Amino acid sequence: MPLLEIKNLGVFFDGQEILREVNLQVMPQELLAILGSSGAGKSTLLRLIAGFEKPNSGEILLSGNVISSPRDLLNPEKRGIGIVPQEAALFPHLTVSENIAFGLGKQDKSAREARVKELLELTRLTPFADRKPDQLSGGQSQRVALARALAPKPAVVLLDEPFSALDAELREQLRSEVRQMLRTEGATAILVTHDQEEALSLADRVAVMRDGQIIQVGTPAEIYNAPVDLGIATFLGDSVLVEGWVENGKLQTALGKLTPITHVTEGDKGVVAIRSENFYLQPNPAGDSEVVGREFFGHDAVVEVQTPKLKIKARANGPFAPEVGMRVTVWVRGSVNFYPNAEGN
Amino acid sequence: MQKPPVALIAMGVFAALASLVPLGYLLIRLGSGFDKALAELSRPRTFELLGNTLLLTVSVTITAIVIGLFQAWLVTRSNLPFAGFFAVLGTLPLAIPSYVLALSYTSMFSWFSGFFASWITLSLATAPYVFLGVSAALVRVDTSQEEVARSLGLSRFRVFTKVTWPQIKTAATASGLLVALYTLSEFGAVSILRYDTFTRAIYNAYRGSFDRTAAASLAVVLVLLTLIALYFERRVRNRYLSVEASGRRNLVELGNWKVLAMTMFGVLGLFGAGFPIAALTGWAFVGSSRSTWGELLSALGSSLSLALLAGVVIGIFATAVALWNVRYGSRFSSLIETTVWSSHALPAIVVGLALVFVGANLTPWIYQTVWLLVFAYLILFLPNALSVIATPMGQVSRGQEQVARSLGLSQVGAIFKLVIPVATPGILAGMALASLTVLKELPATLLLRPNEVDTLATKLWSATETLSYAQAAPYALALIIIAGVPALALNAQARKLASEVR
Repeated sequence: MPLLEIKNLGVFFDGQEILREVNLQVMPQELLAILGSSGAGKSTLLRLIAGFEKPNSGEILLSGNVISSPRDLLNPEKRGIGIVPQEAALFPHLTVSENIAFGLGKQDKSAREARVKELLELTRLTPFADRKPDQLSGGQSQRVALARALAPKPAVVLLDEPFSALDAELREQLRSEVRQMLRTEGATAILVTHDQEEALSLADRVAVMRDGQIIQVGTPAEIYNAPVDLGIATFLGDSVLVEGWVENGKLQTALGKLTPITHVTEGDKGVVAIRSENFYLQPNPAGDSEVVGREFFGHDAVVEVQTPKLKIKARANGPFAPEVGMRVTVWVRGSVNFYPNAEGN
Repeated sequence: MQKPPVALIAMGVFAALASLVPLGYLLIRLGSGFDKALAELSRPRTFELLGNTLLLTVSVTITAIVIGLFQAWLVTRSNLPFAGFFAVLGTLPLAIPSYVLALSYTSMFSWFSGFFASWITLSLATAPYVFLGVSAALVRVDTSQEEVARSLGLSRFRVFTKVTWPQIKTAATASGLLVALYTLSEFGAVSILRYDTFTRAIYNAYRGSFDRTAAASLAVVLVLLTLIALYFERRVRNRYLSVEASGRRNLVELGNWKVLAMTMFGVLGLFGAGFPIAALTGWAFVGSSRSTWGELLSALGSSLSLALLAGVVIGIFATAVALWNVRYGSRFSSLIETTVWSSHALPAIVVGLALVFVGANLTPWIYQTVWLLVFAYLILFLPNALSVIATPMGQVSRGQEQVARSLGLSQVGAIFKLVIPVATPGILAGMALASLTVLKELPATLLLRPNEVDTLATKLWSATETLSYAQAAPYALALIIIAGVPALALNAQARKLASEVR
């Protein structure tokens, strides 16, 4: 049974539709990522779950009880849903320990102290227990914010782009730490992000949002390998789009005959999306294609290749990537996604 | 570190010594006639004054904090309709000098006097200080902190007491102490409303006898009270929490309370600005036949020229002190700056009294001239100008100054060709602020003005002494128009609030 259930949720602000027919289920102890570009309605959805906004239609259930509906709104403080805002929003007048203990009001003193100690250790903040928030780094602040949210053992923790204010290196490190902390606590969490890498690497399941709607829900592999439409396919990573049609169960394209992942109907026309890492560039002096550009990243490289009919971008193993000016033959490895009736670029 | 030009040091030292004159005078008086002063102070009358002053200060402070807090919360945190309009309405009493407010009410109701009247008048006049101070702090509290607190199980009220209040407490206390200082130094309003506090008693003691011991001993007690309030104000002010203004604000739905909230703002606006201006306008029409235009114009002329002169002098000294301290900062320069600041809470009546003594006994050549009056204004309002002028003085970076020097400018050349031109808008704003404050000044002007000089404020004062309100009204209106309204328009905090509340 799902812990949190969102049914047909819809919201209007000032006559503008922000969320439409949102349906989503969150399982106990799961980490669900809501992925979408800015303005997709992710943060609004989070605020609805937390109880800071009222829906215009639909409802939200926690453990089978309605907590939000157009008629009734359970107050945020009665929900047992923790939040970790983007900028940490630590209470500036309290120390790290006091921040973490903030939601433990009803417990007796020794239980409170034990819980704070436990969380300080979990988040490796013990040496900073008596510091004020303005003496912490960005990563430390986010860990305190998470510890503070986890302290009262909430049913669900909501994380609103918690890593976006940090620099790249710190972000990666903190991501795996946060995942570990959530695991250790056995917490159920919803993470909102616009960073596809973050969503795919961190979450058990990913819900992709666009224009106030949930477009696709699935495991990271499902989402990455089989995006339901072209928009998601291009959003999730570099893809080369070519026009093609179905003939004898294969996809006929300017890059040759390709194998579809999903079931296709004979005679359909549409667009084929090929991930840049699916290309294999075989050095061949007699090849019909030529390398015209190369961006080197160390572990891999993005190589621009002019084929007889179009220009593609392929991801190649860094040290072995072909040089500019080399002639190659382009192969497509594995299966590709086909979107019938879609318009190519 | 470069050495500052000698002229800056000379001007800074002069300004610092000037601000020490009033306290110095009081100490000398106390030293030479200690027993006499003690006898004077141990009279029951002193305790009565102490009780009156403290009662008024405490009640006005508490009332102003309550009103200001409510206004600030409504304007920044609730979905009050026309919040921008009400924000301006809430600051409007700042445009009316408190003695003008007092005058307008006694002119309407002859029974309006004593403690109750002073309490109401000063609360209306000072609530905007709390309103502005607390609003600025409230806007800075990140609402996502409040949301986190609610998600952790706190009710809306407890979120206010546990998360919001601790962060605005500093601003509320600081502005409350500012109100206390204001009330302690207030002279015009309590005198017009015939409520005996130290300031009024000092003036009457000075007027009543040639022996200045009584006035001086009372002044000592008043200065002590001010120093206590100032001490706390300083302590609180230095503990600001560094929080950036938060972007999104989550407004509390007022529902049916909306009407009550709007009524409260409306009533405060009416009593703090609307009725007084209407009453004064009415009296002005009655009085226009009696008070001649010529007299009004000549008072206006002398007020303006005096204010302009004082504004320029204060601006020049503020520029010198700020230049020295901001660009060539040393331990000595910051000592000078602190000394200059020390006089900002000194009651004007005390400064006036001290300079009467100094002028009559030590410097008879400037006594009863405009220059002694300007000297008093310099002591009183240099801190105001300094607070505006200090920041722009730092605008030109050390690197830019070094480039200018490498291009052939001397140290003084760099100051006049680079630092001051860049800071000019700030310097002019500081001068304007000082001039506007001088226009409204009453007690020191009353004690120190040359006999032939009549300003708007002193004309108003002599008219109220004979209870001729119709005669006083045109001067009161002129003060509101040429001093009060521009000062409010220049008020940086009020402008910031107006831009932040939509």
